[in-house]
Amino acid sequence: MSVLSANSRHSLEIHRFPILMYALVPLISLVLQAWLPRVLGRFAWFDLPLVVTVYFALGRRSPIQGTLMGGALGIFEDALTHHAIGINGIAKTVVGFLAASMGVWVDVENRPLRVVLIFLLSLVSSGLYLFVYRVLLGLNLDTNWLAELYKAVGNSVIAAVAFPLLDRFQIRD
Amino acid sequence: MESFFVRYRNLLVLLALLAVQIVGLAVQVHRSNSGRMSLDPRDSSGVRLIRLWANALVSPPERLIHSTRDGTVNLWQNYVDLRHVRQQNQDLQKTIDRLRLEQAALLEDARQGERLQGLLHFQEKYIYKTVAAQVIGSSGSQQSQVFYIGKGEDDGLKRDMAVITPDGIVGKVREVYPHSAQVLMINDQTSGAGVILETTRIRGILRGNAAGRLEIVGILSDNRIQPGEQVMTAGGDLVFPRGLPVGQVQKVVPDPDRDSFIDVILKPAAQLDRLDEVLVVTSTQPHFSAEQQKDMATSQTLDGAQVAADAAQKKASEVREERLPGLVEPNLPPEQQPLHDSTPPNPIPAQPPAPLHPDAFSPAAEAGSDTAAPAQQGTQQAAPPGQAKAGAKTPKPHPATPPRRKP
Repeated sequence: MSVLSANSRHSLEIHRFPILMYALVPLISLVLQAWLPRVLGRFAWFDLPLVVTVYFALGRRSPIQGTLMGGALGIFEDALTHHAIGINGIAKTVVGFLAASMGVWVDVENRPLRVVLIFLLSLVSSGLYLFVYRVLLGLNLDTNWLAELYKAVGNSVIAAVAFPLLDRFQIRD
Repeated sequence: MESFFVRYRNLLVLLALLAVQIVGLAVQVHRSNSGRMSLDPRDSSGVRLIRLWANALVSPPERLIHSTRDGTVNLWQNYVDLRHVRQQNQDLQKTIDRLRLEQAALLEDARQGERLQGLLHFQEKYIYKTVAAQVIGSSGSQQSQVFYIGKGEDDGLKRDMAVITPDGIVGKVREVYPHSAQVLMINDQTSGAGVILETTRIRGILRGNAAGRLEIVGILSDNRIQPGEQVMTAGGDLVFPRGLPVGQVQKVVPDPDRDSFIDVILKPAAQLDRLDEVLVVTSTQPHFSAEQQKDMATSQTLDGAQVAADAAQKKASEVREERLPGLVEPNLPPEQQPLHDSTPPNPIPAQPPAPLHPDAFSPAAEAGSDTAAPAQQGTQQAAPPGQAKAGAKTPKPHPATPPRRKP
């Protein structure tokens, strides 16, 4: 249990990054998210802005920052679609808040744990998206749950590779 | 009170952000006359501004990636192609000259066909002008089948213009920005296009399903629909011109929501998940460039020359005819024509012709065989009265050389 919980000083450390990272990484994630489906076609089972949101929320452990970053990236994603602006925004706002809140309770240095968290939060994000679309807005949208599951797996794989790379840019004391 | 805000500031920020977004969503949807909720097809100014910002942020890097990739790929290919480019250029120039003439003839045919259809009150549309555009990005969401192209308002693009490829239809322009445009693909769930099955002539509405595949909905069960049948645009949606290929019937499945209805799953004609370049139909009205009009004028001049040549040939034939002996005298009445014959055609003889060698069975022999001698009979029958009479009225023989016409 001590492996999972954030009870050591190292585990409670707040990750800090260069200012440029906070601007470039989300922007790159948005650009790649818009461009890669052209190359991969229907096999683009990932959500890079979600991965970035969870990464920074877990590392910063600040629910407010996680909420704002999730909301901003979600609204940008919505703006690139033809759906109403705010659907992804609400989903990723909640995901950013949840990820930052969990970061206080779990050991974010534990890589397998982060991968599992990404998987679960991806499913939460998909569920929230459909909740807003169908229940709040009352719009009709068919869902391919298998694709959502693939997307959660894809996010986990990307997180397993990208999180250690992003960790290298941390500012350490 | 201060401690409340400090203590619950995380939750309050979350709720405030959610509330703002929910209010923002509420103004983007409206209830239709049928009572169903739907998104506004046209974005409000505020929403459009957000989309414009997002597009302005994402498009430049996408263009950079796209141009870098294309430049790298094309560098070597272009270098290799340059080796024989001069000869190819000459060959192509000859081909262009030939095709221009053919195109002029085809344009003339098309214009004539359009005039005829106008007479028949057809409302068929023609694709006369398209703009080629490169696909630079997508929405990045499986639920939103849209993509972005590198041409926009500055290139004459407008909303609801059809987007096609040489293989088939792709979608329609949904939003236009100054230098780019958003295209809603036909396999999106909110898309819709009127289509018709080529063989069975059954009409339906094309849309996308959750898996991003094409399906025709709203069709009554019909066992005539078989896999492999071609599907074309019906032309009634005011977006896609009629007769463009849409896809091929892949399978037919029952409609899960309505009994006695079926969904027809299609294999799209265009490679929807591998689009690099598309054509935007910017005008379906006749529009001929100056060069095309010049070619058509040349074609019409050629037609006029052909008509003049035919007329000259006809005149020469008439002159030649006048110099030859005529069979009809135009200044004389019909009964005085040189070749006039008053005898009825194929005159019926009054009596049957006399046999050359009469015998006991000949008709004359039966009538007076006991009174006339065979020699006399033969003499009398050699010149029967009827025949002698007819011989008296024998028409004048045809002159060897008919009279010449008066000049």
